Amino acid sequence: MVNVLAPGTTGRARAPETAGRRAADARGRARRRQAVVAYLFLAPALLFFAVFLVLPLGFALLLSMSRWAGFDLGGIDPVGLDNFARLFADGSTFLAPVLTNTLLFALGTVALALAGSLLVATCIDKLRFQGLWRTLYFLPIVTTVVAVGNVWKYMYEPGGLVNGVLNAAGLGSVAFLQDPDTALPAVVVVQAWASVGSAVLILTAGLKSVPGSYYEAAALDGAGPLTVFVRITLPLLRPSLLFVCITQFLTGLQSFALIVVMTKGGPGDATDVAALEMYRQAFSYGDWGTASAAAFVLFVVVLAVTLVQLWIFRRKGEDA
Amino acid sequence: MTPARRTVRDGHRHEGPLSRRRFTLALPSALLASGCAAPHQGTGRPGDPIVLTLLSHYASGELKAALQGPVDEWNAAHDRVKVRTKAVEFSDLLTTFMVRQAAGLGADIIHPYCLWNGQLVRAGVLRPAPPEHAEEIRRGYSEAAVRAASVGGTVYGYPTEVQTYALYYNKRLLRETGFPGPPRTWRELEEAAYRTSKRDRYGNTLVQGFGLSTYDDSTTVGQTLALLNAAGGRFVSADGRSTAIDSPAGRAVFDLERRLVTAGASAPGVNVYRAFPSGQVAMVVSAGWWTGSLKSLMGGDYREVGVAPVPVPETDDEPATLSTGFMLGVGTASRHPREAWEFLRWLNTEKTGARGAKATRMSRLQVSVGTLTGRADDMRTLLGRGGDPNLRPFLEALAYAVPEPNVPGAQQAKSLLRKNIEAVWTGQRSVEEALRTTRRQVDQEVSRSW
Repeated sequence: MVNVLAPGTTGRARAPETAGRRAADARGRARRRQAVVAYLFLAPALLFFAVFLVLPLGFALLLSMSRWAGFDLGGIDPVGLDNFARLFADGSTFLAPVLTNTLLFALGTVALALAGSLLVATCIDKLRFQGLWRTLYFLPIVTTVVAVGNVWKYMYEPGGLVNGVLNAAGLGSVAFLQDPDTALPAVVVVQAWASVGSAVLILTAGLKSVPGSYYEAAALDGAGPLTVFVRITLPLLRPSLLFVCITQFLTGLQSFALIVVMTKGGPGDATDVAALEMYRQAFSYGDWGTASAAAFVLFVVVLAVTLVQLWIFRRKGEDA
Repeated sequence: MTPARRTVRDGHRHEGPLSRRRFTLALPSALLASGCAAPHQGTGRPGDPIVLTLLSHYASGELKAALQGPVDEWNAAHDRVKVRTKAVEFSDLLTTFMVRQAAGLGADIIHPYCLWNGQLVRAGVLRPAPPEHAEEIRRGYSEAAVRAASVGGTVYGYPTEVQTYALYYNKRLLRETGFPGPPRTWRELEEAAYRTSKRDRYGNTLVQGFGLSTYDDSTTVGQTLALLNAAGGRFVSADGRSTAIDSPAGRAVFDLERRLVTAGASAPGVNVYRAFPSGQVAMVVSAGWWTGSLKSLMGGDYREVGVAPVPVPETDDEPATLSTGFMLGVGTASRHPREAWEFLRWLNTEKTGARGAKATRMSRLQVSVGTLTGRADDMRTLLGRGGDPNLRPFLEALAYAVPEPNVPGAQQAKSLLRKNIEAVWTGQRSVEEALRTTRRQVDQEVSRSW
């Protein structure tokens, strides 16, 4: 059917049609205005991410495939994958000991911090004045790394507090930070100690979310404390444990300041880690290409480790 | 009502003074332009003075005041060219050079550690000294200072602070164990170290016979290279393309240090720079700058501190030691290099003072803060009367010191050497293994073509 307006009705019909179009135009203009306003509000954040995330990331990618001494932007010389090849070449210290130390440092930190924080959180959960205990354990987080590192360094020194305790127990002194066999574990202990506070906060919150009825049922069934912990507490804490595990591991892999303060990577290269090596390559040796390539290798390692952790926990039915 | 808003209300476009679109486009550009605008080096207007910037690490205390004195004197006496000092901590100096140069804000005059010269020259940051200045530098300074300020035979600046290494010793500790004076040979050094060292029953070090510093690259490597040079060895080859430490001299130095640590005469874990002033270290090799710190730290006890040349392996060996230093050079970013070099000549070569006590402003500046310059004549003048006798061995060492290598990659070579030295001390590597590893790693770095 063809809908033809009678000539007499055309003029009358045009008026509402024009009004409708005007209304649609007005709505369109309002939407456009809203969009402009929305983008204006978003602009600072987008600009921030562009300047401080996208731009440096792109620049680092460019540098990882270039040779650049850090002085003249015109002197960036493309070298393909040479920097990556150099990192893994025979005789390079990047894979061992630098990357190995980084992974050992992160693993040790996660293991100690997780065990320690789980123990502390479980104890706090059964105590009075829980806020006070949580605050006490959180204190290292609000202390600067430089202060923490220096205090522990003095404590580890021959004649320091730790050796004083050993001596009082009739044991000989240990050169914790000077012996290549003990230096890395000694720094791991400090990093774990410093990160227990934040983990305790998360785990105590996780413990609060476990329904009390589960414990009551377990008690009625005659389950002992260990069984309750292994069968009820731990499985229900898994989301919090996953979060703590991933964040601590990432912090451990990127650790820099504590090692600079306590050992500067020594003795020898016993505590040399990837972030410290990157810093040296860029700012001390002027080899920005190698530093950027190392940064991307570390990024891949961090990504892989995080994905593996997520996969393991998801297999157990948890989602980050 | 703003012009932009009026345009919208009228319902049609006005080519007014600032439309919304223009305003939107202009705002970020204006912000960027104002934010990124580089500070002026003078106004650039004819007749206005040229302002030269001098970037150094003389950032605080007496160093800052010592440099500002002559700069103020220059500014008061010169209308056309003014100098403005900028300073950062030494640990930030190289990074500041990098960042400012990359941003196009390189200073006119820079004061680098000579170890970085190869790196700075390779990156095109330093201008070679004009021939007349280069000639003046070669004529007026000790050979070690000139070589430190040169790369590939080309002079790049006026040497300023020069540090030579010598043996600091505690007279009381040596006296108590039957040594009337400092050791002259390595055999005497070892004997004195073993006899003066003390430990308690738990193995804690009470007195180190010979202090080995692990404080940083400079102190760890400096003491070892001073001993290496004293044994006639060198760290890198003359052409700077390979390491020369894997040699009998290198082996002897690593062996000596390893023996001292193993026998308990050295405890690298103890901070030598705190322990020596407390009388807990009998001997240590360090640079001349330390005398000033020791004086202020030790007060009256400083009289028990003696300084002697670095011991040599055998009695009839020629003395040798390490020298390190800084220099003042002109950056490639400078738009007024001629004026910058003129200022440097005034600061570093023009002699002032009463007859018989004439010395350059830089030499006066350095001596006032307890360090030396590579101008032996100035040093003799300034230290000749009533000066600290402990500075003498450092001054005499200017004649025979070997400059720290400053080839491209020198900083990395130094770090690699430190790691290997520490690996020897801690038993991670044998002497042979450490020498081989150092050679392989350092060769790889210094021979890289850039």
